Amino acid sequence: MIRITGGKVYDPANGIDGEIKDLCIDDHGKFVASVSGGRTIDATGMIIFPGGVDVHTHVAGGAINFARAMTPEDHRRTQAFMRTKTRRSGLGGMAPTTFATGYLYAGMGWTTVNEAAVPVLSARHTHEELADIPIVDKASLTLMANNEIMLDLLEQGEFERAKQVVAWYLWAAKSYGIKAVSPGGVAAWKWGKDAKQLTSPIAGYDKLTPGDIVTQLARICDEMGLPHPMHLHCNNLGAPGNIATTLDTLKHLEGRRAHIAHSQYHAYGGDGWDTMRSETTQLAEYFNTHPGITTDAGAVVFGDTVTITADGPWQHLLYKLTGRKWGNLDVENETGCGIVPYTYRPSNLVNAVQWACGLELLLLIRDPWQVFLSTDHPNGGCFWRYPEIIQLLMNADVRKECLQKIPDRIKSSMVLPEITREYTLSEIAVAMSAGPARALGLKEKGNLGLGCDADLVIYESDPDVLKMFGHPRYVIKAGEVVIEDGDIREAPQGKEFLVKPAYDPATDEFMRPLFEDHYTMSFENYPVEFERLEHPELRDCIPVTER
Amino acid sequence: MGGKVTCTLGEVKQRADFIIYWGGNPAECHPRHFTKYTIMQKSRFLPRGRKDRTMVLVDIRETKSAKAADIFLQIRPGKDFELITILRALIKGQPVADEQIAETGLSRAVVDDLIARMKRAKFGCMFFGMGLSMTRGKHMNSAALLCLAAEMNAFTKFVAMPMRGHGNVTGADVIMRWQTGFPFGISFNRGYPRYNPGEFSTVDVLVRGDCDAAFIIGADPGATMPQPAIDHLARIPTIVLDPHVTHTSRIARVHITTAPQGIAAPGTAYRMDELPMPLKPALKSPYPSDEEVVRRINEAIARKPFWLPDGRQPQMVATLG
Ligand SMILES: [Zn+2]
Repeated sequence: MIRITGGKVYDPANGIDGEIKDLCIDDHGKFVASVSGGRTIDATGMIIFPGGVDVHTHVAGGAINFARAMTPEDHRRTQAFMRTKTRRSGLGGMAPTTFATGYLYAGMGWTTVNEAAVPVLSARHTHEELADIPIVDKASLTLMANNEIMLDLLEQGEFERAKQVVAWYLWAAKSYGIKAVSPGGVAAWKWGKDAKQLTSPIAGYDKLTPGDIVTQLARICDEMGLPHPMHLHCNNLGAPGNIATTLDTLKHLEGRRAHIAHSQYHAYGGDGWDTMRSETTQLAEYFNTHPGITTDAGAVVFGDTVTITADGPWQHLLYKLTGRKWGNLDVENETGCGIVPYTYRPSNLVNAVQWACGLELLLLIRDPWQVFLSTDHPNGGCFWRYPEIIQLLMNADVRKECLQKIPDRIKSSMVLPEITREYTLSEIAVAMSAGPARALGLKEKGNLGLGCDADLVIYESDPDVLKMFGHPRYVIKAGEVVIEDGDIREAPQGKEFLVKPAYDPATDEFMRPLFEDHYTMSFENYPVEFERLEHPELRDCIPVTER
Repeated sequence: MGGKVTCTLGEVKQRADFIIYWGGNPAECHPRHFTKYTIMQKSRFLPRGRKDRTMVLVDIRETKSAKAADIFLQIRPGKDFELITILRALIKGQPVADEQIAETGLSRAVVDDLIARMKRAKFGCMFFGMGLSMTRGKHMNSAALLCLAAEMNAFTKFVAMPMRGHGNVTGADVIMRWQTGFPFGISFNRGYPRYNPGEFSTVDVLVRGDCDAAFIIGADPGATMPQPAIDHLARIPTIVLDPHVTHTSRIARVHITTAPQGIAAPGTAYRMDELPMPLKPALKSPYPSDEEVVRRINEAIARKPFWLPDGRQPQMVATLG
């Protein structure tokens, strides 16, 4: 039991904006009205937020583990965590090791993370890594928009059957939702091609277009009643002029729910690398007039990182542009991934525009419940750099200082210099916690109300925003003090969220022969065993029309 | 330059119309490779199976695998790196002298034909074995071949994959990577993982006599390591977990007999393409699994005092040299 007294509480889910308020936590790690006994934390003069929630990150599984293998030179210069009685050792850096991932997220006040790209075929691996990420709670999304069995069904107009198959796959992966990466583009990449036009048939198909996949997969997610809508990485990521593709994609949603991943990478104008410019005004306008859709920024921070995505053709292009290392892994029937180390530089037109676009979207989309803090870790930068982005959002003067590093000829390609908005603390609490928790459908997260999970972060109030958000005084996870004065006190095991959408039991027998054609492992061994998950928590699926 | 362009074996089964085995002898070392994954399978994209696929074998001697090949290229021992470099130059149209090609043991006509076939392929895959990665040039050879595969993507779809050895060596590699950032050759003696193959690799640590105890699971270094390493294992307390009596177990202070993985003990093995496969035991064993033995040892160690004096809690080391 813990009582926290005297703190200034920011709890946007309950409309609380900086009130002095006591919080009580029971022995089950939930907020309650009162407790007797237990520890009291005097938070007078401090600021209390719900624990951070990362709606889109890559922290576990084959792709990030491939990135770890490709960057030994980074591990050597990075932050090292020493082994203690309560803690395993590990390394931070561009692609942190699993134990370090948990310590770094918690150390900055984040308590829930969503691993955004899981191939079903290697989901067993992803879950094993997730189990090795301590402290934070976890969810994961299954890659679906390039699954050939599913695409074949959509091509044949078998929507109902496709829906059963998607539900079957999701349960096989034991994951929480559906991720669509560049619909049709990864399938085309298996032949060295890409899918850039929403309305042209995909390589290898007669009729099926990326637009069809967007429309139908969004409908499948809604009808299955997933707590989190389709999580969509639009086609044509990173390319100059891709704003047209992005807006076209949004139209194909036909009013259905969706979360648009890392929209910074999808908001460019121009027709080549030397004419690339920001088109965030157009994209922000779409969000401002369509309140049902959410997004995360996928913001870029300058410096070194390693990029990983299921978007194989984009990674091949990035490798050709940079001439640096290139990793690529195509996964049979389902998806692929590419890995390229990358350095974002302020003097480079493309990089500077990317940096501006991320901040612009966060600042131009008016409702903080629609746009969330992310770097698409590690693609735009590492998650442990979030406090730098918070500082840029809260302080227009710091932005001005950063803009001075950018050559004048580039500034005309962005709108950031004209934006004066500064985030309030309450808006930051929405963008880093309450908003993403709501978008994920995790009602008891990002919320300091009674009965919710006691995940919270306490900061010493400090005009130096970077210091304040970078070094919380306390972090409490499920009612346990995990970080205190910069020390990791406890490293408990978090939960893993998953769903079991309903599907016709005959789907097993429908899948078996197709599976034997498409895959190289035995059908019985394919689904991840439920018993393999550590601290699983099943969440309900309620069709959108019945809500 | 570097990296790796690869895929899972199902992609090869589905799509690869052009397959090169380089420095490997799958017919004898990976006997199910041809039939399950590579040349014999029919697929929707290659409906005639073997007839729709071309297989090239590159090796220094004619092994049993040569019979299965459409084209066998016998090259001079130790000339792998040279041939790969020549291919990398020629695919980009850079000039290479006749003598340089001849040194590899192949003629220009043969090399030109190989390149034409590689570029014509819709989906090419190169498997490389110990004949490439463990001979003169070692990891330089593998790196060069991986580069060649990456560069071929300027012309067509191409991937490469190492033919990994027996047991669950890939699994160990994968897990060490997510827990420490490195695949092998790791030292924890400063309390956090450091990597330096050649210094921290098992064989180097043993030969130098740096360790004062050894704990060995699923390996028989006593059969393969140099004598000074084996001598050191015999000198120090060595603990072996193995279902069988091995060279190592004979010199060990303690041998704990465990249930064989996949036969009498469950678990996960990672395939050479890094896909995790669950192991479902067919038999029961009176012996505990490796996992159970390690868990019990861990519990016993946890009851002992911590390795640092009380009150000392090392935190983190910033910006290491
Ligand atoms: Zn992502």
